[in-house]
Amino acid sequence: MRAEALKGHLDGILLAVLEPGPRHGYAIMEQLRVRSGGQLDLPTGTLYPALHRLERAGLVRASWSEAGGRRRRVYELTPAGRGALDTERGAWSEFSAAITTLLRPASLEPSAP
Amino acid sequence: MSPLGAHVRPAGLGMPGRGAPPDLTDPQAERYLAAVMTRLPGTARHRAEIIAELRSGLLDATDAYRAAGLTAEQGCRMAIGEFGDPARVASGFHAEIAAAQSRKVAGTLLLTGPLVGLLWIATALCSHLGVRFAIPWHHAGAAATEAGLLLVAAAVAVTVCAAAVSLGSTGSLTRWLPDRPGRASAAAAIAGFAAIGADGLGLALLAAQLDLAPGRLSPVPACAAAVASLARILLARRAARHCLALRATLS
Repeated sequence: MRAEALKGHLDGILLAVLEPGPRHGYAIMEQLRVRSGGQLDLPTGTLYPALHRLERAGLVRASWSEAGGRRRRVYELTPAGRGALDTERGAWSEFSAAITTLLRPASLEPSAP
Repeated sequence: MSPLGAHVRPAGLGMPGRGAPPDLTDPQAERYLAAVMTRLPGTARHRAEIIAELRSGLLDATDAYRAAGLTAEQGCRMAIGEFGDPARVASGFHAEIAAAQSRKVAGTLLLTGPLVGLLWIATALCSHLGVRFAIPWHHAGAAATEAGLLLVAAAVAVTVCAAAVSLGSTGSLTRWLPDRPGRASAAAAIAGFAAIGADGLGLALLAAQLDLAPGRLSPVPACAAAVASLARILLARRAARHCLALRATLS
């Protein structure tokens, strides 16, 4: 899966990865890989600007935290981010249901009178 | 291991802190970060913050490769490959840097505007009282003064509107509206130039008053207002140019 195919959905995917709790940039990237079964081919460096954009929109909150002697910028969902994730999920369900119906082979369609 | 660290690290992938090397990165990582850094516009502070975040990400990625059995050097090389081309990584931040700078400029103009405005109003009021209830600025020529004040009002209105557009097209509203860092940069630059116009007109009115009736000005507020406007002109000019330069970096 190339970055281009994700266009328009990266925000929702990032919000979903942050739903269980706060994570830093590299942990978010690992989660993307694990959850996509290694299907996601995204340069890690491009993830950070996307996170900064979400922060600017008020969908995530970022703070520096120190763990294991290393300072990391940790991101977490804001209430607005949770709302945006719900909206994104609803929109995707509708869209994917519509496309699934449209792409169904004609042989499976109920026969016309 | 802090609860946060336990939470943010997926199981089975190297634990930072336990046997992790100190944060002295590999020379190739520092070269990579320097290559990204030189391609980032914006303030030194913003750039340093971005690089610090990328550095911790690179170190985490290197740790994960080391935990999988690679040497530190091999791990670092893999991590760099995973991060992607420095030019591409840097260009990803251009919009964020332009948006951040625009918001800062627009916010500063909106905050300082009323302060400078109050100083000018104080000057007018004090001078008015000082010249025994004469019409303030009267001696600069009533018609010219009126026209000047109208122009100041227009410039202030443009500043406020452009700054609002800049903040609106990059902030929380981008949840519903398209994110427009380019528009925000242009709007912030327009706000800056309009503020320069407003301050410049204020100074011109003051100069006219000084020329025609120097004794009829209250010196303390007049000096304060003049200094404030002059400082704002210099800062707004620099900030507006910076916003235009950042706008040019957006593809």
